[in-house]
Amino acid sequence: MSAAVTRSSNPEVAAGRVGPVPAARDRLAPWRALALPALLLVLWQLWALGLPADTRAPYPSKVASTLWALTASGDLPLALVQSLGRVMAGFACALVIGLLLGVPMGASAKLRDNLDPIIESFRPIAPMAVLPIAILWFGTGTPAAVFIVAYAAFFPLIVNTVHGVMNVPRRLLQAAHTMGVPRTRILLHVLLPASLPSVLLGARLGMGMAWTAIIAAELAVGAKSGGGTSGGIGQMMFVFYAYNVDLNAIVVCMGVVGLVALAIDRLFRAAERRLMPWKA
Amino acid sequence: MNALHPAARRAAVALRSYTLFALAWWALSAWVANPIQLPDPLRVARALATLFADGEIVEHASVSTARLLLSLVVATALAVPLGFLIGLSRRVEAYVDPLIELLRPISGIAWIPLALFIFGVGNTLPVFIMVYVAFFPLLLNTVAGVRGTDPKLLAAARTMGISRAATLRHVVVPSALPTVLVGLRLSFAGAWAAVVAAELIGAPSGLGFAIEWYRQLLMSPKVFAFIAVIGVVGFVCDALLRALQRRLTPWTEGQGS
Repeated sequence: MSAAVTRSSNPEVAAGRVGPVPAARDRLAPWRALALPALLLVLWQLWALGLPADTRAPYPSKVASTLWALTASGDLPLALVQSLGRVMAGFACALVIGLLLGVPMGASAKLRDNLDPIIESFRPIAPMAVLPIAILWFGTGTPAAVFIVAYAAFFPLIVNTVHGVMNVPRRLLQAAHTMGVPRTRILLHVLLPASLPSVLLGARLGMGMAWTAIIAAELAVGAKSGGGTSGGIGQMMFVFYAYNVDLNAIVVCMGVVGLVALAIDRLFRAAERRLMPWKA
Repeated sequence: MNALHPAARRAAVALRSYTLFALAWWALSAWVANPIQLPDPLRVARALATLFADGEIVEHASVSTARLLLSLVVATALAVPLGFLIGLSRRVEAYVDPLIELLRPISGIAWIPLALFIFGVGNTLPVFIMVYVAFFPLLLNTVAGVRGTDPKLLAAARTMGISRAATLRHVVVPSALPTVLVGLRLSFAGAWAAVVAAELIGAPSGLGFAIEWYRQLLMSPKVFAFIAVIGVVGFVCDALLRALQRRLTPWTEGQGS
């Protein structure tokens, strides 16, 4: 069960934020950081200059002007709002179910033994694999997308919630019991703060999964229902692929998808620092 | 059930859970009364048996696993050497890391439309997407593993006058290996999720394709059967990777599992 926990802690260590960075080189660091991306951008632009004027191939300056056009027309912001709305709705469902199931499962070994096999059986089934079922049940609109998001976010949430509640120091609970603290107060004032780091970690991972899943769901729904009917940024990408054949717009969408993923991650990390100052 | 061995007791409890789950499923399907929306477990089991008997499951599953294996090999060949370079040299890290951090948030799924345009529908698309997805966890874990080498061991190796190559081979590699293998398992999990998406949208074969194919034909029992196969193959592959972990790094029994 702790796989998800290892999974998350490694990238943080690995992202190069450990170990002292030599202070003397700091002044040059931003330039070094920019060097490779900038070089690639320039090469990409130069490569595009050699292409015929009516080329479909994407290149940086065209991508930038497409980004501007899509933003100014309001298409991109609208699609973004639609996708984010679905992610929020699905994530909220997953959070409620994950906590309602995860807290009792973490507290009771009996319940855990009973439910764990079922949950672990579903875990290796990718969200995209259940998309066809979601389409059968809910059609190709928003509910199917919300279902997929909830499914994707559920597993990191429940696994980490169970792990967090399971590992609350027993001495804290016993001390509270001994002092005659009522059960609901123990839940709110002991169990919850003690398992918060794990739950938040699950929420961050779940939200990351949810964002990936919504793009996949919207793309596939677009691809399989044969039309841009339900909106969202994934759908928008599919329309640009299949109907308008505008690769610059696809690259714009990819960039936006990446930026949103980054923003979500930073937001959750900031929340972790804020809610758990003792962990910093 | 208290007299039983703990493992046997757990198995019994799991069996009871599965039975209850199947019963609940059966009851729900009887209530829905629409075999297209929710076929009962028996029908799905029969579909599974038929698909097995005519070799369809084996065919699609082997196509998907072959793609998976190929992409894991390619991703390892790319990510592990680069990870060692980044882990060993601050200079390489200063130049390469920003580019990696720029690309990493863009999920593999988001590459599908562009990759569809470049590669078309076929074998290359799922492999490309999976290599991309598998690349990052492997790279980050390799870097972390190399960085995590005990400085005391490195100092000892230096003191004893061991050459750089030998230090790398006998100190850094063994100490990074457990973390690299955890990265491999994460890469596998991500790639296995991505292959379904990639095949669903842009491949003429494989498990993801089969699911969507039978959905369009409204043959729900087969859709459910293939979904179960995806779960089972995913579970088996992870178990194999765990076995590999135990085999290659027996000294880290149980880590990251």
